[in-house]
Amino acid sequence: MNLNFNRRHFLKTATAGAALAFTPQLARKAFAASPLTMQAAWINDAEFCGYFTAMAEGDYESAGLDLTYLPGGPDVIPESSIISGKADLALTTPDTTIKAIVDQGAPFKIIGAQYQKNPIGIVSLAKAPINSPEELKGKTLAVPPVNVMSVEAMLKLNGVDAAEVNIVPYAYDPTPLIKGEIDASLDFTTNVPYTIEQQGEKAVSFLLYDFGYKTYNDTVVVTEDVLANKRPELVAWLKASRAGWNENFVDPAVWPPKFADTWFKGTGRTIENEIFFNTAQKPLMEHPDGIFAMDEAGVAANVETLNSIGIKATPDMFDTSLLAEIQA
Amino acid sequence: MNGSGNRAATLVLLVALIVIWEIAGQLQLVAGGTLPAPSAILARIFVDRADYWPHVLATLRTSAAGFVIGNAIAILAAICFCVWPFSERLMRGVNIAIFAVPPIALVPVLVIALDGEVARITLAALLVYFPTMTATLSGLNDIDPRTADLISAYGGGRFRALRMVRLRAAVPAMMSGFQVAAPAAVLGAILAEFGSGARWGLGTYLLGSLGRAEPDRLWGIGVTATAIAGVGYGLAALVARMTTGVNRAVTMAPEPPQAGDAEHRMRSIAMTIAAIAFPFLVWQALLVISQLSPIIAKTPLGVVDYLFFSNASAVAQQKLLAALAETIPITIGGMFLGLAIAFVLALIAFAAPTIMNALLPFALITQTMPLVALTPLAVLIFGRGVAVTLVITVSVTFFAAFVVLAQGFALIPRAAFDLVDAYGANTVKKLWLVAIPASRNWLFVAARLAMPKALLGVMIAEWLATGRGLGNLLNQSRGYLDYGMIWTVALVSVLVAVALYQLTYAVDRMTRPR
Repeated sequence: MNLNFNRRHFLKTATAGAALAFTPQLARKAFAASPLTMQAAWINDAEFCGYFTAMAEGDYESAGLDLTYLPGGPDVIPESSIISGKADLALTTPDTTIKAIVDQGAPFKIIGAQYQKNPIGIVSLAKAPINSPEELKGKTLAVPPVNVMSVEAMLKLNGVDAAEVNIVPYAYDPTPLIKGEIDASLDFTTNVPYTIEQQGEKAVSFLLYDFGYKTYNDTVVVTEDVLANKRPELVAWLKASRAGWNENFVDPAVWPPKFADTWFKGTGRTIENEIFFNTAQKPLMEHPDGIFAMDEAGVAANVETLNSIGIKATPDMFDTSLLAEIQA
Repeated sequence: MNGSGNRAATLVLLVALIVIWEIAGQLQLVAGGTLPAPSAILARIFVDRADYWPHVLATLRTSAAGFVIGNAIAILAAICFCVWPFSERLMRGVNIAIFAVPPIALVPVLVIALDGEVARITLAALLVYFPTMTATLSGLNDIDPRTADLISAYGGGRFRALRMVRLRAAVPAMMSGFQVAAPAAVLGAILAEFGSGARWGLGTYLLGSLGRAEPDRLWGIGVTATAIAGVGYGLAALVARMTTGVNRAVTMAPEPPQAGDAEHRMRSIAMTIAAIAFPFLVWQALLVISQLSPIIAKTPLGVVDYLFFSNASAVAQQKLLAALAETIPITIGGMFLGLAIAFVLALIAFAAPTIMNALLPFALITQTMPLVALTPLAVLIFGRGVAVTLVITVSVTFFAAFVVLAQGFALIPRAAFDLVDAYGANTVKKLWLVAIPASRNWLFVAARLAMPKALLGVMIAEWLATGRGLGNLLNQSRGYLDYGMIWTVALVSVLVAVALYQLTYAVDRMTRPR
């Protein structure tokens, strides 16, 4: 595999150099710290609150890192950012990452998992509730096209014929669900129920995870190249990020308001929404071995789930050795 | 005619339309209240005003940069194409590819290959390039040949003709290009902000707001975008109006003689082959320059390999053919419908400018309001079948075609009407006898603008609402990091658009009056 990082690297160094010339107070720190760039999976919201907390607390600096944070968006394919060398690590969905490893020979390793349980689930209105895959029969379900495969797999695992569910595209806006044009949608269960309640309806939801589709989400992915050359930085990042998440979860209502004029300014979302999100995601992320943990049972469940939909995952795609280093 | 009287009538009509909208919004008549009242939209903009400034400034900067860069390149290119017609033939494939490549396929690649703001300006400039280039070129070429004859009779070369006649004559057409380009630049900036993880911009604000199920916020963003585009549109329209009268020929010129086809057949075939090969060379060259990983960046041969010789070929071919069978028929239907509506609107603009001026702000909204924000409204009203696809397709096709046709009607020589006027013809007669026949060339220019856009519209509808066809295939392959399929769909959609585009040339040639 021939990856060309040189031009980007040059540009980045040149830009950093230019920036430093204007910010003398940062110069000392930046020269001492190792640069590391992370590509997030989406725009700034509570999904990434732990990283913002770690930055606010100076966890990356004390770990010797000069972290650059890149927000994501619908057209940002996080895996593409690490292939092109734009970022060193990316938060991804494990099914796309592993499919890219298998189908395209992409040189990726998963070194941690932000969500132990994938937050995606089926959301419906309490007045017409859908509480299990069985109840989706004959209903219209809006699903983002990239998740169609996961939903069909979940249906199959539960003995429901996908042809019995009318699957239509979902384009981020819950209005058709609230208005009853669709019966349910696939979304982050940590987020959209808040919106629905703001519109005067009650929402119910179930996780795909709880019906056999046992995958992680926001898996921390690097290229083999970065893994070989920046291992100490990656370990430091995992450690600092874990500290940030731990601090953030002491009270999920405390940190989001502190970012109202920085990370969350002008995003179009509300701080109350971020607090709801932050609170709801806590149980999906926590693990006895700490945030990002990938224990044997978890990796095995991911491999088994992905194999069941024809993605030939293997346990060696998950590299748990960096987590072991911070455990020690 | 009484100018101030007309303006008053336009104003009355505009107010009436807004009042109807207000009532429909207040009484929640449309899609269970999904269409908010204008007053609710304005109130919401006022509430959100502190949020707006950084977003508006970011979008203004990006779209203005894209507008200036895209138009500068477009005008230079049009001049080259006019002076050296072979260069137009050579670049035709590249030109149409730029116009036809769907932004949903392009943005992920731009985001990978370029850095943040550069990627966003590039998209805005790319969307601006084609309408201005086409309009300017047709303006440069569509001169009264007698004026060029005069220059050459006095010993002037083609550059003198360019300077003294063509450039001057092209200004109104160029302005009609700018009128399409202004909303295109704003939409390009917003689409790129929406997708690329930009921190600021109306597109970013829209993305964050989408999940709130609050249509007044979404419409507020759309109206703000329209206002930005409207300023650009209005300035171009003003210049167009000031220059059209000056440049309008007094009498109609005879059709220019056609070049003898037979003697140039060999050269013509060679040019066609070159025009087809050139975009692939450009594609290959850009990939070499950008140094992207071969996993992401597929070369032309890489796509051929993926589609015919890899172990994924059979599945890929099957998916692609199934998608094309769904997408192509409705594209052709949508194209004709969009063109028909553009033609009717252009007739209205010609016969009853009062009505058109009142309709214009609403037409502009459809151009700058990102469709993703309108999807809930569209599916609630039109469902998720053929109807919604046609509506979305018309909404992306009609505007460029309308502007070109309206400009075409406006350029009809005044004397052409004198005869029918003398016989007491009414407006309809005038249209039938003079305006419609005279707008023939403009109709084909409009069709060329509408064709690739129709494919784009259908793909957007498939991506956002129906979940079928080529648009859905593209979106799914993006999700699965199936780069082979992403490039294949992009290539196939360009090829389909080019085929449709060439078809308009063929029809144009076959139906040209002798």
